[in-house]
Amino acid sequence: MQSPGLGIRLLALSSRRLAAAFAGMAVAVVVMFVELGLLLGILDSQALMANLVIGDLVVVDEARSNLHKWDTMDRVRISQIGGVAGVAASIPLYQVPMGLKNTDDEAIRRIVVLAFPATEVPLAIGDPREISAALSVPDNVLFDRLSRPIYAKIEPGQNIELDGAQNRVAGLVSIGPDIVNDGAIVMSEGTLLSRRPNVRPIMGIIRLSPGADLEDTRARIVENLPNDVRVYTPREIRWREIAFTLRSAPIGILFGIGMLAGLVIGSITCYQILFNEIVDRLEQYATLKAMGFSEMFLRRVILEQAILLSWGGFLVGLAASWLVYLYIAGETALLVRLNIVSVSTIFVLATLMSVVAGQLALRRVLNADPAELY
Amino acid sequence: MLDLSARSALNAASAEGDVAVRVVDASFAFGPDASKPVLVSIDFTLKRSEFVILTGPSGAGKTTLLTLIGTLRSVQGGSIVVLGTELKGLSPAGQREVRKKIGFIFQDHNLFDALTAFQTLRLAMELAPVRPSREEALERSHVLLTALGMGDYLHARPGELSTGQKQRVAIARALINDPPLILADEPTASLDHASSKRVIDLVRARIEGQKAAALMVTHDNRIFSAADRIVNMMDGRIESVRQESKRQI
Ligand SMILES: Nc1ncnc2c1ncn2[C@@H]1O[C@H](COP(=O)(O)OP(=O)(O)OP(=O)(O)O)[C@@H](O)[C@H]1O
Ligand SMILES: [Mg+2]
Repeated sequence: MQSPGLGIRLLALSSRRLAAAFAGMAVAVVVMFVELGLLLGILDSQALMANLVIGDLVVVDEARSNLHKWDTMDRVRISQIGGVAGVAASIPLYQVPMGLKNTDDEAIRRIVVLAFPATEVPLAIGDPREISAALSVPDNVLFDRLSRPIYAKIEPGQNIELDGAQNRVAGLVSIGPDIVNDGAIVMSEGTLLSRRPNVRPIMGIIRLSPGADLEDTRARIVENLPNDVRVYTPREIRWREIAFTLRSAPIGILFGIGMLAGLVIGSITCYQILFNEIVDRLEQYATLKAMGFSEMFLRRVILEQAILLSWGGFLVGLAASWLVYLYIAGETALLVRLNIVSVSTIFVLATLMSVVAGQLALRRVLNADPAELY
Repeated sequence: MLDLSARSALNAASAEGDVAVRVVDASFAFGPDASKPVLVSIDFTLKRSEFVILTGPSGAGKTTLLTLIGTLRSVQGGSIVVLGTELKGLSPAGQREVRKKIGFIFQDHNLFDALTAFQTLRLAMELAPVRPSREEALERSHVLLTALGMGDYLHARPGELSTGQKQRVAIARALINDPPLILADEPTASLDHASSKRVIDLVRARIEGQKAAALMVTHDNRIFSAADRIVNMMDGRIESVRQESKRQI
C-alpha cells in the first residue's frame, strides 16, 4: 500500500501553520546546534596545538596529562631522539606565558609565546620559509593575527614590549585563541633561551627519514629513551586531548545536558504540533480504521508528518544556526563552525525527536474508536 | 455416492453463499452492566442482493447493531457471520479484511480537509484487492461522482463543498471499491430530495446488479419503498419485518 503522501498533504494544507511549526522546531535545532557547536569548539581549541603539528611523531613528558597542563620535558631528550635511527629531525616546541604591553592603554596582558628553532618550523601556522626567514633575526617575533582584540592593533614592522624586552614584529601567523589563551606570539628558540635559559620544551616534534617505518621508529625511541617520555602520533595526541577534556572537565556533561534540553524541547514541540493535528482529525483517522486501513498505515501517516516537521525544522534551524555560529565565533574567537560532524549529529537527533514524538502522538490515533463514528 | 455428497456440500455452500449477513441470537450491552442490554437476542439475515432498511425510535439499538455487523464493536452473545466470516473472536487482521469489503456510510462525512474528492477516492482505492492505475482511478472516480451529481467536483477540497456535497463524496468513498456489503446510518440526512434519490438509485443499482447487499438505517420514509424489506427495531429487539412490494421511489 502506498498513500499519496497523506501525512505531507495534511501538514502542508496551511502554509502559515506549517511555517509556524517549522519555526518552532527550528528553535530546538538551534539550541542543539549551539550546544554541540560550543562543545566541539572547545574540544577543537583544546586540541589546537595537536592540530597544528607538522610531524610524524610527538614526544611529551610522561607526567603530562594534556597539553594545557604545564608539564615540560627534559631538553636533552630532544637531542637524544635526534640520534635514533630513522629520525630525520627532532624539534623542540616551547610554550610559555609572557606579558605583552598594550600600546593603547599601557596595560600588560598575558599572551602565549610559542618558540621553536628558526630553521625548522614544526607548526602549520603560515608559510614555513617566510617564518624561518623572519625568525632567523634575533628578537624578531611573529604575531597571531587571530588573537582576541585585547592587545591593541599590532602590525608588522612595529615594536612590541614582551616581559619588558623590545621585539620587532616581523610578520603575522594564524593560530587562533582557545579557552585559556587570548593570543599568541611566535619567536625562535634562540630568542626565547636568551631570555629564559632554563625553559623546558612542552613537546618534541619528530620527522622521520624518508622510508623509515613509523612503528619501528617509535619502538626504537621508546627503547632508547628513559621512561619519562611518551611517544604519540599527532592524531593520537589529538584524541588524547579530546578524551582528556571530556573526562576531566564537566563540559561533556554540561553540553550533553544542553543538547538533551534541545532534544526535549524539540520532541515536545513536535508532539504538540502532531497532537493538535491529530485531535483535529480524530474522526477522519477513525474512518480510515473503519475502512480497513492497518495500524501500519496510520503509523506511516503520523511518522510522515513527524519527519516532515523535523526535517523542515532542521533546515530552518540549520540556516539560523549558521548565523548564530558566525556571531559566536565573532564574539569568542572559538572555533565554532558547522561541519559534517555537527550537521549530521543534529540531523540524526532531529529525526530521532520526531520519531519519539510521532510514537507518542500515534497512541492517540490508535485509540481512536471507529465505533463512535456512527 | 461421491457425486451426491459433493452436490449436497455445494448446495449448502451456495445456500450460505446467498447470505451476506447472518445474525443469530446476538446480544450486546454497553459497559459491565449486562442487566441493561442494548440488543436482546437479535436474529436477522441479510441476503446478498438485498436492500434492507432498519428503522425504529431513537435509542432502539439500530446504530449499535450496525457497528456490530461492521466489526467496529464485538458481539457479546450469539453469533454474527458477515460475508462468510464469523466475527466472534476475529483477530484485528481478520477484522480489517472484513472491513475492506464493507462500504461504510456514516452520518458525518469525515473527509480529510487536505484531500480533494479524487484524492479521497484514490486513498480508498488503496484498499481494493487490485489497485487501479491513476488513469483508471480517475475514470472510476469521475463516473461515480457524476452518478451522484458531483462530476464537476473531482478536484474540490471539502472546504469548497456544501454539507450535502461533502456527504456525497463520503458516499462515493464508501462505494468506490464496489463493496459487497453497504452499511449506512442515516446517509441522506443532510441531502435534499434529488440527491437522496441519486444515492438510493445508486445503491439500488448495485443490489439489482447482484453486486451488493445493503443495510441502511433511516427515518426517511420517502426511501422506504426502495427497500426489499423494512425491519423495525424497538428497545433492542426486532419488532416487525415488512416486505416491500414496489421497489421505486
Ligand atoms: N457508546 C455508548 N455507551 C453507552 N451507551 C450507549 C453508547 N452508544 C449508544 N448507547 C445506548 O445504547 C442504546 C442504543 O443506542 P443506538 O445508538 O444504537 O440507538 P439508535 O437506534 O441508533 O438511535 P438513534 O435513532 O437515535 O440513532 C441507547 O440507549 C444509547 O443510549
Ligand atoms: Mg443511531
